[in-house]
Amino acid sequence: MPDVCKAPAAADALLEEERFQALSSGEAKIVEAAASRIFPTTDTPGAAEAGVVHYIDRTLKEIYPKQIASYREGCAALERNAKETFGRQFTELAPDQQDKILSAFEKGTASGLADASEFFALLRKHTMEGMFCEPMYGGNRGLVGWRLVGFPGQQFGYEDPYINRVVDLEPIAHEMPFSQQEALDGRKS
Amino acid sequence: MAARADVVLVGIGAVGGILASELTAAGLKVVGLERGESPPYSDYALKDAVHAIVRHALHDSARHEPIARRDKEGENTRRRPVSSPTNQVGGALNRWTGQSNRFAPGDFKVFTQEIASGLAERAGASLEGYNVADWPIGYDDLEPYYTKYEYEMGITGADGENPFAGPRSKRFPMPPLRDTAKFVLFRDACRNLGYHPYRTPNGILSQRYKPPMPYAQGIPERPGCVYCGHCNNYGCHVHAKASTLYTHVPAALDSGNLDLRTRCKVFRINTSPDGKVTGVSYFDPAGTVQEQRASVVILGGYLYENVRLLLLSRSEASVHASGLGNTHGLVGQHIMAHEDVRVSGIFDDQIINGFIGPGSVGGRIDDFNSNNFDHTKLGFIRGATIGTSGSGTPIERYNIVPRGMPRWGADYKKYLTRYYTRSFDLNMQPETLPHKDNYVDLHPTECDAWGIPLPRVTFSLHENEQRMHRFLAGEGEKIMQATGAAKVWSAFSKRGSRWAGGTRMGTDPSNSVVNDKCQVHGIDNLFVMGASVFPTMAGYPPTATVAALTYRAADFIRSQNALFH
Repeated sequence: MPDVCKAPAAADALLEEERFQALSSGEAKIVEAAASRIFPTTDTPGAAEAGVVHYIDRTLKEIYPKQIASYREGCAALERNAKETFGRQFTELAPDQQDKILSAFEKGTASGLADASEFFALLRKHTMEGMFCEPMYGGNRGLVGWRLVGFPGQQFGYEDPYINRVVDLEPIAHEMPFSQQEALDGRKS
Repeated sequence: MAARADVVLVGIGAVGGILASELTAAGLKVVGLERGESPPYSDYALKDAVHAIVRHALHDSARHEPIARRDKEGENTRRRPVSSPTNQVGGALNRWTGQSNRFAPGDFKVFTQEIASGLAERAGASLEGYNVADWPIGYDDLEPYYTKYEYEMGITGADGENPFAGPRSKRFPMPPLRDTAKFVLFRDACRNLGYHPYRTPNGILSQRYKPPMPYAQGIPERPGCVYCGHCNNYGCHVHAKASTLYTHVPAALDSGNLDLRTRCKVFRINTSPDGKVTGVSYFDPAGTVQEQRASVVILGGYLYENVRLLLLSRSEASVHASGLGNTHGLVGQHIMAHEDVRVSGIFDDQIINGFIGPGSVGGRIDDFNSNNFDHTKLGFIRGATIGTSGSGTPIERYNIVPRGMPRWGADYKKYLTRYYTRSFDLNMQPETLPHKDNYVDLHPTECDAWGIPLPRVTFSLHENEQRMHRFLAGEGEKIMQATGAAKVWSAFSKRGSRWAGGTRMGTDPSNSVVNDKCQVHGIDNLFVMGASVFPTMAGYPPTATVAALTYRAADFIRSQNALFH
């Protein structure tokens, strides 16, 4: 793994050290496993290193509490399908087995969840947001998502148009803590 | 009850901001009612995709004032939050991209030049159900006002580059923004194909600027663009991108003649029994009903709101039983929207870095716009500008994926990792013609947070647009191929943007709602402004034309002493 792509800490450790507010710890493990198939760790960091599950948990708790139920049902259905198809828990399946279950969700053919494809689309959307969001929202830890694709974050501006050149700037993240952000967003009544 | 104002403005966005400056400078006492807030810098200047893009649905306007949307009559509607009206001081200018084309001369005369002339027939166009009308004015009538807009807002551009543009009385006030990687590729490809690329006129300053005399001197000086790339859907953190929030509104406030009241939602235009407008009723921030009397009322909202207010203000007891300006049932009719066509390309030998610089900085061609190309046997009339786009942080671009490429998993990740910096898009703004089945009315049962019926928007594309879009995608793909892209694909937006129509402008009251001064037929002291007055919408964004119409109407209003007896 190239240096710039090093994650700030191992994903397991992050799961251990932080409490979840919207998801149960069992659900968090399922969500993390699924997100890790959507944007896997390869020779570069993926959803696990970016802390996508923390982005999702915070987003559900603080912004979209109505979607907690979707995750609750979705996780239960992933688990059920894993057991029915492969006789084991989703988190214990081999990656290609997890992919098969997730594909069935994507296509809407998974059993026991009417809007399985909708849940997959939501999970994918949140996973990608968690990869590339400002770290203050809980994901993109160590700016791994931005470093991966070559986005230098919130530069004040660019002196150079960088025509056909790699942008060799250290990425910059927003410094406003989440609570302040929430206050800004928080004209929700 | 507050004292009578000379003018009450409903909405302080592009239209209301310009009017506030123009009318207060003439000494008129103006009350500006804006349903949103004056956004704080810390909100609109945030360069944060989650805040600005992912969660824009959290903004007050979008949550409290959705529209009810359906494709066709008879279908159920879906409540949809819409961010385009951007209910706040500055309006949609706080988050526009900046593309600032004037309409071309032919864009005002589609009926005469392309239907009555027989061109549509030679093209084999199927125009059943369409109701196309000429504008009551032409390019020459608006030219001085386009110029005024360009000098007050500070519009960048390259003189003489676009052979299809109308004649200009003055040069652009400043040179174009600097070239980008995507522009260079696009320009060279277009030249090789024999087209006429030009650098996009932009509402984003390329250098420090203050309007010279004789333009409004209350407009503050602003710095040039720093190319941070956060334009479309973001506010500008250096104020290089034009918005009345920090151009015209400060000028109007400085005059002492503007009483700006935010979080005030107008719900009715009041009339006397003889049909004259007397003022408006609104909910103040506490939700209390207030009345503001005025000699002149001007609606400057997004088209949904302009239409809704005219319809809500019907009164059985007066001549306005079906709504204001609606004697012939035309309020809300003939709405239009661009449904953009996008062509994307990825490169193995070019690094584009599309996140640098404004999304609208770059180039366009008008070789496939308007009536600039031979339509014989193409099956449609009109067209679109084709130009570069493809700005965006990763959150805005992770869904731009070639057909056949998986949208998750290791291969998807490899694709995104390699091509995020090595891709860009062409975007097209294809003209939609007014059709009888596309309209806004009041929802019969669903209401907003104030208990006011939602605007119900019924809209879909018809034959002329569908054929045009397929043609444009093909031409766009040829251009993208010519840039040397390794893979090229096109996509059709299903989401309308840049809405227009609903209070059509015309000379004949039986086929239009307002006259060429934006004055409602038969109600001298009521004006409706914005893209809702467009009879046809052209294949360009509406902003420059909305502004020019507003300046022209302001000139007229200032000359009408009888309105302010």
